[in-house]
Amino acid sequence: MGLRIGVYVCHCGVNIAATVDVEAVTRFALGLPSVAIARDYTYMCSDPGQALIKEDIKKFGLTKVVVASCSPMMHEPTFRGTIQEAGLNPYCLEMANIREQCSWVHEEEEEATRKAIQLVAAAVDKAFLLEPLEERRVAVTSAALVIGGGIAGMQAALDIANAGFQVYLVEKEPRLGGHLAQLDKTFPTLEPVAPLLAEEIREVEGHPNIDLLTSAEVIGLEGYIGNFKVNVTDQATIRELKVGTILVATGYDLFDARLKPEYGYGIYEKVITGLEFERLVSLSGSRKFWVNGKEPQDVLFIQCVGSRDKSVGQEYCSRICCMYTAKQALLVKEMLPQARVTVLYMDVRAYGKGFEEFYDQVRGEGVLYRRGNPSEIYKNGKRLIVRVEDTLLGEPVQLEADLVVLATGITPRRDSPKIANLLKLPRSPDGFFMEAHPKLRPVDTVTEGIYLAGCCQGPKDIPDTVTQAKAAAASAMIPLCQGQVKVEAVTSIIDEELCSGCGICAEMCVYDALSLHERKGVMTINEVLCKGCGACAAACPSKAIKLSHFTPAQILAQVDALV
Amino acid sequence: MQASLDIADAGFLVYLVEREPSIGGHMAQLDKTFPTLDCSSCILTPKMVDVARHPNIQLISYAEVVGADGGIGHFKVGVKQKPRYVDVDRCTGCGLCVEACRLKGRISSEFDVGVSKRGAVYIPFPQAVPLKATIDPERCVFITRGVCGKVPACEEACSAEAIDFQQKEEMIGLEVGAIIVATGFDLFDARLKPEFGYGLYPNVITGLQFERLSSASGPTRGKITLNGQEPKKVVFIQCVGSRDKSVGVEYCSRVCCMFTAKQAHLVKEKIPDAEVTVLYIDVRAFGKGFEEFYDRVRGEGVMYRRGNASEICKRGERLIVMAEDTLLGESVQLEADLVVLATGITPRGDAQDLATLLRLSTSPDGFFQEAHPKLRPVETEREGVYLAGCCQGPKDIPDGVAQAKAAASSVIIALRNGMEVS
Repeated sequence: MGLRIGVYVCHCGVNIAATVDVEAVTRFALGLPSVAIARDYTYMCSDPGQALIKEDIKKFGLTKVVVASCSPMMHEPTFRGTIQEAGLNPYCLEMANIREQCSWVHEEEEEATRKAIQLVAAAVDKAFLLEPLEERRVAVTSAALVIGGGIAGMQAALDIANAGFQVYLVEKEPRLGGHLAQLDKTFPTLEPVAPLLAEEIREVEGHPNIDLLTSAEVIGLEGYIGNFKVNVTDQATIRELKVGTILVATGYDLFDARLKPEYGYGIYEKVITGLEFERLVSLSGSRKFWVNGKEPQDVLFIQCVGSRDKSVGQEYCSRICCMYTAKQALLVKEMLPQARVTVLYMDVRAYGKGFEEFYDQVRGEGVLYRRGNPSEIYKNGKRLIVRVEDTLLGEPVQLEADLVVLATGITPRRDSPKIANLLKLPRSPDGFFMEAHPKLRPVDTVTEGIYLAGCCQGPKDIPDTVTQAKAAAASAMIPLCQGQVKVEAVTSIIDEELCSGCGICAEMCVYDALSLHERKGVMTINEVLCKGCGACAAACPSKAIKLSHFTPAQILAQVDALV
Repeated sequence: MQASLDIADAGFLVYLVEREPSIGGHMAQLDKTFPTLDCSSCILTPKMVDVARHPNIQLISYAEVVGADGGIGHFKVGVKQKPRYVDVDRCTGCGLCVEACRLKGRISSEFDVGVSKRGAVYIPFPQAVPLKATIDPERCVFITRGVCGKVPACEEACSAEAIDFQQKEEMIGLEVGAIIVATGFDLFDARLKPEFGYGLYPNVITGLQFERLSSASGPTRGKITLNGQEPKKVVFIQCVGSRDKSVGVEYCSRVCCMFTAKQAHLVKEKIPDAEVTVLYIDVRAFGKGFEEFYDRVRGEGVMYRRGNASEICKRGERLIVMAEDTLLGESVQLEADLVVLATGITPRGDAQDLATLLRLSTSPDGFFQEAHPKLRPVETEREGVYLAGCCQGPKDIPDGVAQAKAAASSVIIALRNGMEVS
């Protein structure tokens, strides 16, 4: 069958058309060999734009399609779907990126148009050599693994289990509940945590679909979406779990206040952290609030300890400290109405539902908010002296206190590099696990089948954590509902004639997709694990590996057209 | 859209009812997103296309829910399909009618927040889904007065014969197992703070109007200009209609600090010699990468001054912003060619009506009330009805997406359990 290529040049509104003469590009494309039709259109990705391509495929009997528009990251799936609906193999599409790599980065129309023409020529030359690829599907194991038994992990496990799927919930500690179990009351509704949590734990423990493994740790992972094999230590034994998807909800650590030695935490016993305050209040119950057998008269809260502080390598905001401090300040006022309670802050971040109202209420109760971060705490007799620059008064002040509470921030868990390595999760610059897209894919990771929930992805409060846990549960149960998943069609292919079995490729592969075939003495590829990154093909000294859809012949044809 | 996609991906049929002619909501109006400066419509439009293409999603646009009886597993929902006066099966979205309309360029564009004008027949924006024309029944002279030349210009221009002035309102009955409410938000009406002169001075604009000015596909093609002139002194005022009991809005709108930081950055990027000042009460850069972004913006020379503006007045061509700088403890007067008001998020004007219709309660701030503020953030008191996005309270895009997915999870659970029983 003859080769007939259709070329479609997108204006992207003015994004491309204002800098590139799209009509000239289209005229040029029409003159290329085997190009049966070339058109330009305002938005190729729109419904009518796609309809245009589909009609042409039928009308002109097109065998390959080139779309000159934005990055393939953006619309390659869109146009693959388009041509597939018209009966072509989805891999018979090539995109020329004339937006990100042309119109957006050039200003001069003539030059930009010339470059766009070259990019289109290269795409057409590659399109000559494109081969149809097969998209396969593999069955999904109908179970999920949730790592972490804090509120995020419990909520996610409950959602997946309630939808009717088997869940393995692995918790490192002997008990469920995570940090939440240590808290007294929640902001801004001042609801006691213990009964809320107890109900949640009861539900998890009694759920027929949840297999709870406490004092257990994930130590090994292999496989891919739909078919993960996970090794978990359970008491003295190692259990192998088979699951389709994995949800990571490993939580956080608190900033170690000793890293701010100027506050004397660990030296002065009346300098405590926010979490210690929670325990103190929780244990004292509704009775009197005592510190060393005495009612404190001056209680001082210091915010942003280990948050928004580049000097200790913590640039980000921990998101919850403003509100838990406001809550703690109010609790002191409730227990000791006579006490003077002061909060030292930089900005009060009362951003959530009912938060500003709560902050207002706390100030109304007589809690004094002073803007300024303290420089030092020292002891004068029995009392603590806090030196601070009040930035509203514009002068340094010294405040006396019987109790100082440090609002220590949220940090990534100290063992998160280990987990990241085990699950092959990238981390963002702040050290938390990185989501697939900061706006639209907040719970997915770059690894298909692995999802994030709770503070392991970044600081968040309880409702945001519960929300994210349910969101991750939705992502984790979709493949289970579908019962099968698509496998990447673009994979590496080994030429057994050329392969010497040296194993260099296996060292390069981050997906563990390559292994030595003992009998044949050559490498083999697990096509389900292979993500088509091409690292092995580049590394192979014998040129025995090629990447489908990016074969040397295809790439050289593109290069020839460009230079 | 996100909730629909998740439920549809899990194998269930979804009816997506949208009141406007196109899906996309407010996000379609934004230029770039904070803090990564991704182009908003570039990440949004693929989702819109996914929704349109999904075999399990039935999109009912330009329609409103008018009733919901029954309960979880067996809701009966009444939907009013408003007439577009355009046959959507015939319309190709070519835009010839839009060009032909006699009122072209005479009606303030909702999508561009008044920064541009449309006609009586319009397509809200080029990437609209569905890409179909809609005739505005309140403005179209043929509908209001029965005459528009000999033949209405749109009808004459349309080669697909899609214009249909005979179209009537239609009622659609749907039977569904669960309902997600994701009706979004309105922006605070800056006219309620008359001291800022919004609506009086053309160079006092809102944050959303700034987005349209700055957007590469907006009416100025991304050039920040007013009457053809680049502003050299720009003042951003935060918390306009947020944290302000005097206008009855006590809560924080959660997104304005960051959208203002982003907009301040965009001004600096597009007009490097501009003087940019942000007036704030507290900077709430609480999300992932936000503090880092706030830091970057200050590093680029954007001046942050703590204090809220008391008044804006005009002196010659320039605006004067009066404010108390609470760090210096003195009042200041700032000159400006452009003032951008970071108007806050409010419940939709008809939120109370919808609450009555769906038998939902609202919290004191007027947003829909979730079942429990901590542990049940997407459920409502009415079993089978869930909340997603800003209708429950202000939130940014990732938090909105997460909540949508969370609501989807609740719905999938409900539907799968129903499935197993039957």
